[in-house]
Amino acid sequence: MAGGSKKLTKKEELLLQDFSRNVSTKSSALFYGNAFIVSAIPIWLFWRIHQMDPYQSMILFGIVTLVCTYLIAYAYKNVKFLLKHKIALKRSEAVTREVMRKVADDKKMAKQEKDERILWKKNEVADYEATTFSIFYNNALFLLFIVLMSFYILRSLSPAVNYTASMATAGGLLALFSTSSK
Amino acid sequence: MQSTACLAVLLGLVCFVASAGNENARLLASKTILNNFLVEGKDLTVEYNIYNVGGSAAISVQLADASFPETDFEVVRGNTNVKWARIAPGSNVSHIVVLRPLKSGYFNFTSADISYVASEQSEEPQMAYTSSPGEGGIMNYKDYDRKFSPHVLDWAAFGVMTLPSLGIPFLLWYSSKSKYEQIKTKSG
Amino acid sequence: MDSIFFLSFVAVLITFPVFCTGDTCLSPVVTPQVYSTSEASLTSETAVIIEFSLTCKNHLKDLNLYADFNGKTFPVSRVQETNRYQVSWSEAHKKLPSGKYAVQFFDEEGYTNLRKAQRSTEDDASNIKSLFTIDVTHQGATSGAWVQTEFIAVSVSFLIWYLAYNTRCKLQK
Repeated sequence: MAGGSKKLTKKEELLLQDFSRNVSTKSSALFYGNAFIVSAIPIWLFWRIHQMDPYQSMILFGIVTLVCTYLIAYAYKNVKFLLKHKIALKRSEAVTREVMRKVADDKKMAKQEKDERILWKKNEVADYEATTFSIFYNNALFLLFIVLMSFYILRSLSPAVNYTASMATAGGLLALFSTSSK
Repeated sequence: MQSTACLAVLLGLVCFVASAGNENARLLASKTILNNFLVEGKDLTVEYNIYNVGGSAAISVQLADASFPETDFEVVRGNTNVKWARIAPGSNVSHIVVLRPLKSGYFNFTSADISYVASEQSEEPQMAYTSSPGEGGIMNYKDYDRKFSPHVLDWAAFGVMTLPSLGIPFLLWYSSKSKYEQIKTKSG
Repeated sequence: MDSIFFLSFVAVLITFPVFCTGDTCLSPVVTPQVYSTSEASLTSETAVIIEFSLTCKNHLKDLNLYADFNGKTFPVSRVQETNRYQVSWSEAHKKLPSGKYAVQFFDEEGYTNLRKAQRSTEDDASNIKSLFTIDVTHQGATSGAWVQTEFIAVSVSFLIWYLAYNTRCKLQK
């Protein structure tokens, strides 16, 4: 059993990749939901601090939030994909132990089935950690961009322009950075 | 914005009344707005300085400023019509009125009137004007608030809003990470 | 709500000896209203305005008063046809830190004595009795903390992102 090995087998590799490319509906909903919440939060800043009227700017708020939701969700997916492999490698040993301990009593279980279980669990753990971490990381970066752009770099612009430009830049940079590995 | 800032610095030309003879009192007066910004509903500080550059004391010096209509300004403290019994030669007096602009927009700050008796002998009051600060823009409160208020509560609320979107994914990730790292170290 | 007014209170009353009648205000009753600048960002200097109404036991009116604040004297102006008076001046924000200041008021006689004492080296000007004193409690002109809140927000978000970035680097190693 490849308990201690740091490398994944070809078969494992393929399976993991397959899993990560096809983002399930469930995790897709999770991404879009989170992205929507985070891209809606800056409305508060622009309403309360930049004094934009929420009723007058409703349409702008709506459009920009939706565009940003898409960009953030895109960033979530990319970062998750990049991280999943590394996390799978890191957790490989521990996950194998955990699964082996659970199925140790079951003498009847075939080796192949055990391997499949381990692989499935590895995929699940890596997916879970990569998803949650990707959301956390991108949210932190997005909020930093927003505060920096709207209160320092674009401060002198009118609130509506500031809002649109800050959100577009923050979302755009987030999407752009998500494609690079670091 | 810039015009209001300039306004405060602008002291303008000091008006004066030429009076005959050096023995008589001669007053120079300025009217200055001490504000860096003029803001609707915020204190507007107007300072008057009267200098006696003549040779004798000015008597019954009266300062009257009728340039602040009640519909546009509210007096916070100070009086726009005051009198000094005498201003000694070579000395000056200052007078301050704090007002609160009730409206935003441009306002032309004009001069105030001064009347005084130039010497003990004369009875006729002399008239003079202070300098006029000129036109200044009064910022509306919303714009001012956007630029200068600390918004501590709004920021705190923002912090509370962002907390779940950062805290929840982080904690979920962290609990999974610690679980598997523990397994690794325990039996590793 | 926008402006903070400063506490004002009744002055210390100094009763003059009885023989000193005539032009002296007997047992003055002073009701002051004091203003001092509270928002330094708004104005270039701190302004102090003391308005007060004065009634004397011997019904004196239209007195010529002088105010002394930290060795500087100002003639007090009268509001016409009332018993109200005003003295006001401005000073650099830094020269007038928050605190309690006593402003002494003199009548003509007291003012003459004060000037004499200030000019001569032997006499102590603080020995000259004032007619009354008004305390000015200046809260200090604060310049507001609007830069700080945003700076804190940026710093906190940067810190969170930095932690996240660090963790991500460790994960990808």
